[in-house]
Amino acid sequence: MTTTEPITTTIFRRPKSETGFWSWITTVDHKKIGIMYGYTAFIFFLIGGLEALLLRIHLASAESEFLTAADYNGLFTTHGLTMIFLVVMPMSAAFMNYLLPLMIGARDVAFPRLNALSYWIFLFGGIFLYSGLLFSAIVPPLGNEGVPGNLDPGDARSFGALPDGGWFLYQPNAGGAFSPSNAIDFAVLGLQILGIASLLSAVNFIVTFFNLRAKGMRLLRVPVFIWMTLVVAFLLLFSLPIIAIALFMVTFDRQFGTLFFDATAGGDPILWQHLFWLFGHPEVYILILPAMGIVSEIIPVFSRKPLFGYAAVVFAGAGIAFLGFGVWAHHMFASGISTVAQVGFGLTTITIAIPTGVKIFNWVGTLWLGKIRLATPMLFALGFLTMFTIGGLSGVTHAVVPSDWQQTDTYYVVAHFHYVLFGGAIFGIFGGLYYWFPKFSGRMLNERLGKIHFWLWMLGFNLTFAPMHWLGLQGMIRRTWRYDPSLEFWNRLVTLGAFIIAVGLLFFMWNFYVSKRRGTPAGMDPWDARTLEWSIPNPTPAFNFAEVPVVHSLDEWWHEKYEEDKAGRPVRRDGAEATIERLHEINTNPPHPIHLPNPSYFPIVMAAGLPLIAYGIIFHVSLLGKALIVAGTLLSLAALIGWGSEPLEEAHVEPAHT
Amino acid sequence: MTTAVPPATDHHGEHESTGVESRKLGMWAFLSSEFLFFGALITNYLLYSSRDFAVGPTPAEIYDIPFTSVSSFVLLMSSLTMVLAHNALSRDDQSATRTWLLATAMLGSVFLAGQVFEFTEFITVYGMTMQTNPAASAFFVLTGFHGTHVALGVIMLLSLFGLSRRMGGLTDRQYMNVELVGLYWHFVDIIWIVIFTVVYLLTAAPGAG
Amino acid sequence: MAEEHHVAHPTPAQYVKIAVGLAVLTAIEVALFYINDATQLGWVNTAALLTLAFLKFVIVVGWYMHIRYEKATVSRFFTFGFTLAFGLYAIVLISFGVLAAGS
Repeated sequence: MTTTEPITTTIFRRPKSETGFWSWITTVDHKKIGIMYGYTAFIFFLIGGLEALLLRIHLASAESEFLTAADYNGLFTTHGLTMIFLVVMPMSAAFMNYLLPLMIGARDVAFPRLNALSYWIFLFGGIFLYSGLLFSAIVPPLGNEGVPGNLDPGDARSFGALPDGGWFLYQPNAGGAFSPSNAIDFAVLGLQILGIASLLSAVNFIVTFFNLRAKGMRLLRVPVFIWMTLVVAFLLLFSLPIIAIALFMVTFDRQFGTLFFDATAGGDPILWQHLFWLFGHPEVYILILPAMGIVSEIIPVFSRKPLFGYAAVVFAGAGIAFLGFGVWAHHMFASGISTVAQVGFGLTTITIAIPTGVKIFNWVGTLWLGKIRLATPMLFALGFLTMFTIGGLSGVTHAVVPSDWQQTDTYYVVAHFHYVLFGGAIFGIFGGLYYWFPKFSGRMLNERLGKIHFWLWMLGFNLTFAPMHWLGLQGMIRRTWRYDPSLEFWNRLVTLGAFIIAVGLLFFMWNFYVSKRRGTPAGMDPWDARTLEWSIPNPTPAFNFAEVPVVHSLDEWWHEKYEEDKAGRPVRRDGAEATIERLHEINTNPPHPIHLPNPSYFPIVMAAGLPLIAYGIIFHVSLLGKALIVAGTLLSLAALIGWGSEPLEEAHVEPAHT
Repeated sequence: MTTAVPPATDHHGEHESTGVESRKLGMWAFLSSEFLFFGALITNYLLYSSRDFAVGPTPAEIYDIPFTSVSSFVLLMSSLTMVLAHNALSRDDQSATRTWLLATAMLGSVFLAGQVFEFTEFITVYGMTMQTNPAASAFFVLTGFHGTHVALGVIMLLSLFGLSRRMGGLTDRQYMNVELVGLYWHFVDIIWIVIFTVVYLLTAAPGAG
Repeated sequence: MAEEHHVAHPTPAQYVKIAVGLAVLTAIEVALFYINDATQLGWVNTAALLTLAFLKFVIVVGWYMHIRYEKATVSRFFTFGFTLAFGLYAIVLISFGVLAAGS
């Protein structure tokens, strides 16, 4: 006898709120989840930025006493971890979450509750990582007991209590013998937790891309940003398991006495480097490709031209990702790998410049003969184009092995990756914020404030990071709290640049705060854009599309508004205004009831179990630690069972008709 | 009428789709990533098993090949019972489904018991723990993670079994769950196929077993 | 369930035959192990064992995991993951001198 009744949980009532605090806690709506990612990532951006400012205040003098050496190590490690894992990745996730269903004409992602789970795991993982500041045991590194500048037991808590082994946690330096403080474990286990969030998102986005595209949206009609989302999902899918194993190995070494990286017992430190960079290199493409996708959306809109060579840009993105798996040991040129390996990886690294160059040329080709509008999103996109290219060029110099030997562990490398990650990813992300702000708020950000922000950043950013190229070549070493006094002048300028960046950011924050409340209402399609997310009202209705669109071409929305004259120029269709009217009407007052996935408690509850387990592992020697492991496991397991018993849709919910 | 049917199960042809149900596609994607997971563990082991250490013994010196062969056979047969469970459900034979699900869980548990026994032997009889040398660390962590995956699978199988008992059979929705658990279970089996050959048979020291 | 394209599935009897085949392959592997122990076949042993393991792998994936009857998308994913893992880790082991030195 089979039953067709869905099994419903009888212990807790299904949440029903649509507004207010609880609606956010229990949401499974990709838009709300995207917004939460965005705000959370922004807060971490402020924290990471403060860390950078503290570092720069210290580095303004060659023999500064502003920070202790222990503080310095904790701050640069955490600055790196924060910016990579708690800012750029979740900011990208914010856009991918918000836009993926909208740009492919879907109502949500394939697995809405899994999506929520990813966000809560991210939030708790980030908080857990930072909680090391409060909970880590103070034990100076091996051989440094009593050495001035170290955090010793009995000292007041300071930044030295943060993870301090560099974001790459090289073994055995960041292992149990040389870094006995459990501060490192907060980073190791924190990253482990964060990795789970990203892996689940990757599966979610891959399935969404493949199975939920609107009718007619064939693969080569998918917007470039969505293609980049898919490529990033594959990169995450295949690189995260590698770092997961590496982190497990470190955890076992540090907590349970295994000997993976214990050199005295025959462990191999180079193994760590391979495993870490096998993940770490794809990771940097994970960091840049979403921004490349954003820029690929902005430039055509503000040039009033289709993207030049759309297919080439898509294939280049996939090519970068694929090749990106084959270059990892270029981070190890100075670690003693064989000549054959160095030559091989040098060659593959140079090859990556090809698809990257294809994209850059195609963006330039889009601008060529376009009707350029220099609105703030476009300024940031152009900033991306120029700054990322500079960063890419220094990257090419890294691919030349003997040149890399000189640059390794100097500020030249710091210059390179900040040009691509700040000048590239962050500029691209902010361009996206200015561009898509109307979609989630219904208003426009102020243009004048936006331009001030942009130009302050162009000035501040270049003042901060350009000098690092020659500082590095003149011998300024990374990750040390003191440097040669002859380099002090440029370091002072760098610090000045960092503060200019901070001021620029304040303009943005003021702009955001004011515009969210009193900004110019945006209307449906304020930028006269090309893709489907602009064919529905702002802010986006809860159900996205009252009528799921049917797609006939790339840049479908553009072609609904414009046709081409004999010279190939866009001409507004006669029916364009009527189309916009109609779409605005049906999406504001949908003619039929629309059923949405119900909210759920289980994602946040399940996520909460993970940091408990992590705390338990760190303190596993004590009874409390063991209890935490058990409690965390049971909590997540219970949530999983509840989740499994709860159908996605329990009752018909009528969306509030505005 | 325009409805938003739960995206994961909507197949009204309203959109472009691979034709593979979403949860199944998701499981295949996840399993593909697990190759990277177990690959790293196997690589660790292969690296360290090729080296000598001051402190012994290494796993290769103390493998009990006959014993491991039997437990490998048991796991292999559990894939058969799994596929028979899925087949029974497709014919709506709920009672046979339960039988085969339970059989799979039991075979999996026998495998796990064998692992526990093997580990205990290594630790108590030969004095090899995961702290003895890097090869031992690699061995225990590799097989430990595999065993954890098996254990999770057994829990899922027993959950399906229990659900079927409680509800008098599995619904259409659970049909997909059985298939998903089946894919997971077979994957765990094929990883063991690789481990048995590459880790045990190919690195065992001459005379071991 | 509407997604289930009801292609011919193997029958229970066929599944059992496949299991017997898998058991036989395992037995051959174990026998080879002992033969090699006695006669030291070297790379022949390695090649043979890997081939047998690969056969078992493909049989379970193809028939038990049903990949033969699924859409191409599925086997492409799976093959890609496997190939990527194999390729990356082979390079790592080679760079450590493990594979070149022979196991």
